[in-house]
Amino acid sequence: MADDVTSGWFDAHIVTGAHPAALVPSSDRDAIAAHLDTHAMSGALVSSMASWLHDPIGGNAEATAVARSLADRGVLACWTAVPPTPGELDSLDRLVDQAVAEGVAAFRLYPRSHGYSPVDPAMDELYAALAVNGLPLCFDVTEIDWHHLDQAATRFPTLPIVVSSLGYRLLRTLWAALRDHENLSVDLVDFAGHQAIEWMAANGLADRLLFATGLGLRDPGESIVRLAWSGLDDSTVTQIGGGTADRLFGVRRATAATGGRP
Amino acid sequence: MIGRRPQRRVVDVHAHLGPYSLFHIPDPDATTMVGVMDRTGTEVTVVAANRAIQQDAHLGNSQALAAVDAHPGRIAAYAVVNPWQDPERELERLAGDDRFVGIKVHPSLHRYPVTGSRYSAVWAFAEETGCPVLSHSQHQSPYDAPPLFEAVAAKYPGAAVILGHAGITPPGVDESIEAAARYESLWLEVCGSQMTSSLILAMIERVGSRRVLFGSDFPFIDQRMSLGRVVCAPLTDGQRDDVLSGNARRLFRWRPLPGVQE
Repeated sequence: MADDVTSGWFDAHIVTGAHPAALVPSSDRDAIAAHLDTHAMSGALVSSMASWLHDPIGGNAEATAVARSLADRGVLACWTAVPPTPGELDSLDRLVDQAVAEGVAAFRLYPRSHGYSPVDPAMDELYAALAVNGLPLCFDVTEIDWHHLDQAATRFPTLPIVVSSLGYRLLRTLWAALRDHENLSVDLVDFAGHQAIEWMAANGLADRLLFATGLGLRDPGESIVRLAWSGLDDSTVTQIGGGTADRLFGVRRATAATGGRP
Repeated sequence: MIGRRPQRRVVDVHAHLGPYSLFHIPDPDATTMVGVMDRTGTEVTVVAANRAIQQDAHLGNSQALAAVDAHPGRIAAYAVVNPWQDPERELERLAGDDRFVGIKVHPSLHRYPVTGSRYSAVWAFAEETGCPVLSHSQHQSPYDAPPLFEAVAAKYPGAAVILGHAGITPPGVDESIEAAARYESLWLEVCGSQMTSSLILAMIERVGSRRVLFGSDFPFIDQRMSLGRVVCAPLTDGQRDDVLSGNARRLFRWRPLPGVQE
């Protein structure tokens, strides 16, 4: 049945926890489960609102708790890091080791909100460790300057980087970044440019697009209807809906599906 | 699972046409817009050309009419009235050309308040004829903040005014809801980057489903972003149909929109 291509998608960007300054649908554990059920999704990548807006490192436990609670539904945790700072974080290497041991699938950074430079030399340790372990690095474009993104993507060409929350005004900038960096992808959270998905696909970049709703930040109906009623053929919809996520998070997704056994 | 085919009829009362200088819009032409409409179940879209709102109202209005002629039955036109560009001339043109079905004003772009005398002819024309007026509205704008429309509604109670974006921000939506609750001539339109299904639900709970209109702002923003919020919102079938098409059919009576009437 042709409609099957709108099931099995992997939601690559959910933020769990209360949002203090927006009227958005709930993103607690039960709401995420209902979201996955309603839209017949195969899983999700979940980070923590507390990591963004309250306690960057301590908040990671909330992402992990939701991921563990919904592990049988394909939910994976996404952690947050900050530069090593006495009393807050001793070592980025050890944080990544811990994340790998706990089955974390990616990291999401908030340099602007958390008040540091993403190209501070201290962050190299994180980027190198993520690249070695195949863990993607995620940014909202509101959190990082494009020249810093360019710098990180250039210095760590094997580190998969996913940018989010493009809005509708940044296609010129995005095009240059995608042209220059094969390790760069973009998710569908607020990817709002008219025909932007079709434009990417027509220019051979469908495999750089990653389905995601931003549940917790945005209305999930945006991305769902955007992809389902796009002008793309079924195979490209399937690629964006889950194929790109398989490439970026595939090992962790497969491991999660076997209950943590490799 | 949403499937690839829309289930409901849609009328889009807030759209544009053509390029915009501040960012790249892929394929902003009317033919591509109609292609999107075919995929989303949109019967008819009412457009105001970007050239008309951004730079030259008269030339842009001609572009909108060309789109109507190229796509009969699918595209209808607003006449953009710029208070600095001979508004009487455009109102005379509107009155004499039944391809125009409404007036569009953009006080924030044109830096002139809706309460200013240069707009008086617009409100008077709307009151005399029943021609609907779509206005940009924006929280805290000195030109078109939602409370300013209460003064317009008090002076011209017979002029139907659509608050485009319903104030844009969540606090702006709250202000728009209050204005519409006080004045029955004010209608709420739902497109905007900060809109959510929760905010749309708040509109309906306060003013009812019969004065909330679907609009998307496409091709400024992709149509499916706004549509997804309504399609996936927790509304009754009747409420959803009101918003997606029924209310537009009821409002645009001066020169009825093409297609099946409610």
